[in-house]
Amino acid sequence: MGIAETRISQLQDRVVGLSVPASAWNAENRTAAVERLQSMGLPAPRDEYWRFTDPKSLNAIEAPKAALFDPKETDVFDTVDRLEIVFVDGVFDAVASDDLSGSNMTIERLSDAEGHDSHWAADCYGALEAIGQTPVQRPFAALNTAYATDGVLIRVTGKVEKPVNITYRHANDTSDAILHHVIKLEEGAELTLLENGPAAARFNKSCEVFVADRAAFHHVRTQGRDHERRAVTYIFADLGTESVFKSFTLTANGALTRNECVLRLNGDDATAHVAGASVGDGDFHHDDTVFITHDAVGCESRQVFKKVLRNGATGVFQGKILVKPDAQKTDGYQISQSLLLDADSQFLAKPELEIYADDVACSHGSTSGAIDEEALFYLCSRGVPKDQATDLLTLAFLAEAVDEIESDTLSDLIVEKLEGWLERHRP
Amino acid sequence: MLEIKNLQVSLAEEDKEILKGVNLTVEAGKVHAIMGPNGSGKSTLSYVLSGKDGYEVTGGSASLDGEDLLELEPEERAAAGLFLAFQYPVEIPGVGNMTFLRTAVNAQRKARGEEEMSAAEFLKVVRERAKTLKIDADMLKRPVNVGFSGGEKKRNEILQMAMLEPKMCILDETDSGLDVDAMKLVSEGVNALRDEGRGFLVITHYQRLLDHIKPDVVHIMANGRIVKTGGPELALEVEQNGYADILAEVA
Amino acid sequence: MTLDQVEVKEGVDQETVDAVREVSTYKYGWETEIEMEYAPKGVNPDIVCLISEKNDEPEWMTEWRLSAFERWTQMDEPKWAMVNYPKIDFQDQYYYARPKSMAEKPKSLDDVDPKLLATYEKLGIPLKEQMILAGIEGAEDAPAEGRKVAVDAVFDSVSVGTTFQDELKKAGVIFCSISEAIREHPELVKKYLGSVVPVSDNFYATLNSAVFSDGSFVYIPPGVRCPMELSTYFRINAENTGQFERTLIIADKGSYVSYLEGCTAPQRDTAQLHAAVVEIIIEEDAEVKYSTVQNWFPGDENGNGGIYNFVTKRADCRGARSKVMWTQVETGSAVTWKYPSCILRGDESQGEFYSIAIANNHQQADTGTKMIHLGKDTKSRIVSKGISAGVAQNTYRGLVTMHPRAKNSRNYTQCDSLLIGDKCGAHTVPYIEVKNNSSRVEHEATTSKVDDDQLFYCRQRGMDEEEAVALVVNGFCKDVLQALPMEFAMEAQQLVAISLEGSVG
Repeated sequence: MGIAETRISQLQDRVVGLSVPASAWNAENRTAAVERLQSMGLPAPRDEYWRFTDPKSLNAIEAPKAALFDPKETDVFDTVDRLEIVFVDGVFDAVASDDLSGSNMTIERLSDAEGHDSHWAADCYGALEAIGQTPVQRPFAALNTAYATDGVLIRVTGKVEKPVNITYRHANDTSDAILHHVIKLEEGAELTLLENGPAAARFNKSCEVFVADRAAFHHVRTQGRDHERRAVTYIFADLGTESVFKSFTLTANGALTRNECVLRLNGDDATAHVAGASVGDGDFHHDDTVFITHDAVGCESRQVFKKVLRNGATGVFQGKILVKPDAQKTDGYQISQSLLLDADSQFLAKPELEIYADDVACSHGSTSGAIDEEALFYLCSRGVPKDQATDLLTLAFLAEAVDEIESDTLSDLIVEKLEGWLERHRP
Repeated sequence: MLEIKNLQVSLAEEDKEILKGVNLTVEAGKVHAIMGPNGSGKSTLSYVLSGKDGYEVTGGSASLDGEDLLELEPEERAAAGLFLAFQYPVEIPGVGNMTFLRTAVNAQRKARGEEEMSAAEFLKVVRERAKTLKIDADMLKRPVNVGFSGGEKKRNEILQMAMLEPKMCILDETDSGLDVDAMKLVSEGVNALRDEGRGFLVITHYQRLLDHIKPDVVHIMANGRIVKTGGPELALEVEQNGYADILAEVA
Repeated sequence: MTLDQVEVKEGVDQETVDAVREVSTYKYGWETEIEMEYAPKGVNPDIVCLISEKNDEPEWMTEWRLSAFERWTQMDEPKWAMVNYPKIDFQDQYYYARPKSMAEKPKSLDDVDPKLLATYEKLGIPLKEQMILAGIEGAEDAPAEGRKVAVDAVFDSVSVGTTFQDELKKAGVIFCSISEAIREHPELVKKYLGSVVPVSDNFYATLNSAVFSDGSFVYIPPGVRCPMELSTYFRINAENTGQFERTLIIADKGSYVSYLEGCTAPQRDTAQLHAAVVEIIIEEDAEVKYSTVQNWFPGDENGNGGIYNFVTKRADCRGARSKVMWTQVETGSAVTWKYPSCILRGDESQGEFYSIAIANNHQQADTGTKMIHLGKDTKSRIVSKGISAGVAQNTYRGLVTMHPRAKNSRNYTQCDSLLIGDKCGAHTVPYIEVKNNSSRVEHEATTSKVDDDQLFYCRQRGMDEEEAVALVVNGFCKDVLQALPMEFAMEAQQLVAISLEGSVG
């Protein structure tokens, strides 16, 4: 059997237990996604796009078991005044969630909305995922669009003061969840989306974000800590003129995490920042895969990814900036760095630039190395215990990524989480 | 020598008029100074005369010894004898200062149909002129302006001027970023080049440079026009009373 | 440093500027009309045997080639590079061609085809070396001017002569064509051939293993510093001829050699194939510098013709403290597919890669390096300068890998791209794999256009636009140009300027 046949036959097995929910307005989108998926099949370990991350546990028919973990601490955004939405193992928890209403926005569950005859999301659902399948195929994103069981649909018409927070709880050690969100920001609208929690034993989440002209989307998420879960997540976003998109992710352990972010800057003078801080100790494989397309004049994009790794943890970064022929005055910046705290950990990176316009300033940097012994010695010589000094330097290393969060309140909460994690994970 | 008549200039990209009819004649052997508040159009005038992109001449003329400057490419203006000492000389990594100078000197000579300067002759002249500007061998060897201090950059501009022997020199805020000693050195370099056949247009915000480079004529520029012209005493007046009084007087 | 010393370098730069003014077409685009001897078109075991037979090879070599051919028939052309070209019909190429006058070695000047001599002259090979290449007796004793460079010239498929053999022999250095080495030094060839680039390494290397017709062989014995620079000139002359040369360099313990490679081809409107393999073995404390100025015909400004250049170059730093330095100036070829690599096996071994790749008009270049750190305390450095103009595409592709055993190793990569005009592309595809924490890897890349302010500054001082661009681009490339031997640096600077002609205005 050739590779192509293997992909397809594996796919048939993989989707056996999945079904496409019925919907009047969404049936076409769902069917198209099934067809996309069928033509691609599942990824193979030798695929260039899976060069550094083995898709095996994502390809597996059953979700690999992930022990439940009770961190005995409150959720990261508990102190933030927010609209709370809770999913447990991918199932909406009406009791734990707030009323789905807010000023300047409509918000509803995908599964509810799919019961209606028509919906504004009919033109949106799966649209960015479909475009995002070229030039690189993302089978799990198509699988998500086809088989997602639920999600939220948010339409924002003005400035939303209170952040929307989605908490993903995990209560079943073999749960396999697929959620799909669509967020549409109309011209000039503003929304902050928060996400936290491990979600499920295996989690496939896709989020399509439409940012219209002069709209602003802020996104801060944490993916649960010290968890055995496997997650593949997608953010697809289209950016209009003078719009702003900022996304930050904190990942503290997790057996496998692949976070893909696919952005298209379609309107002039748009801004996109994507950042991530990930810390891994032991059985941790973290993969940030970013693809940013500049297709308009005067846009700015920034990618800042920092990884701290120890005890055999693996960090992966694949980031690409594509500047289309007429995307003049592009400012593209990308940095990926890893701090390896012991000899067993590894960092694998492929930072790419593909540029077809001449009036651009694009750069990328990537470094990997151990902690700065001189700085460590300096701190110790001033009386700081070595453990604490290491934490301090590690936090300083991660700071550039955390600083990408615009809200000080939120970045303080993230730093607090990081400090706690580092303290618990000293050698 | 340099004759500017009713020169009107807008920014090419936006519809903003910067020069609104400048009239100015600099005679050979004379030093003219243009003073004026920030944003009056002084630097624009220097860029338009030397042919920088991004400006649109909407009216008027500028000529050097009767030759229409505005029709020429930047390098043709240079070959015709126009030299601009930049306010912010650009850094060119990897290109040795000497290489740059020699390429420029010979390009101009060739454009004028003159014999190129031999390596030995060039070296002799550079060495001699660099010495008076306190430019050492190391500075000549380093890439053009890369890692130069503010003072070094300006001295380097004057060295280029000395080597290229232009007819008409425009000095754009040459005093900015200079301490007293550096200003003296630069001024001496300029003064050494003053002669019968050469005209100078010294653009400056402050009077202090004019203590060292004594002007024959001083113009005050404001809002894209020359609003007042006088002798050296006009510069002193600015020094004492600022621009406000003069501007109020001509308004 | 005194000003007088400075002047030497300044004179070199001046030539760049002169070159811009004077040269307006591909300088090496002439064709020499010499009677050629061809093998029939196409590749099959018979052709492989024929090549082996023409080179008077022992049976083991014929077998080696045949097994390579067998593997090649089962391989597919690689598709991952960012290059597009019409499908190559590998059966529509001549795999062997040589000047008829070389069928027998010339005994005197009269026997030498004067056109061949003229070829050497146009290539800029010094007169004395022309004589030696032509095989004139006593030429070795004629006084040489300036610095000596031993030359091996490869004309289409065969080596037409190697200079200074006697003098090199005195130092114990073997420098000859690979076909001669196979006959005269089989023990060395057997031991090292295919040991760095295995027969089945990749599609083109495997094809080369089957059909290579000639190339250069170098052996530097232990402790010997090669008394002169060694140089190979490759030239494709005959039409529809693929050139498949094979170079094998062995630097034994504590030795040193600097090797120069120059390439040219005539202008033709059909594309020609070139697939070379270079293998370098560097033993303990030895050092090899390998410099290339690749100026194969790039095709005309409409993208017709040019050389398809698929090259596999690899150095194996086997011994402790061994060093290799690759320097390349890639200005020619319609398609370039080339990744000179370093396997840093010995502890404290070092690899360096300096590259200028210029793609103008319809050229496509996909080039870079691999630094594979296996030994402890190994160091590597990559400096890549890519320039794109016209409608060309220029890709840097590289790999830096630190194996778990490669403790305390270092890599520094600087990868800059410059765009001239808005129809071309510049791409960077680095792979970084770090598998231990005592090693440090730093990668920096930038892409920008030629700075308008720099150009204006130059023009205000009297240079025209092309001159200004050539000057600024040469400055951009300085770090790499400085890594070249003096003779090549001059040629390279001129090439930079010539290659960019017509890219502005």
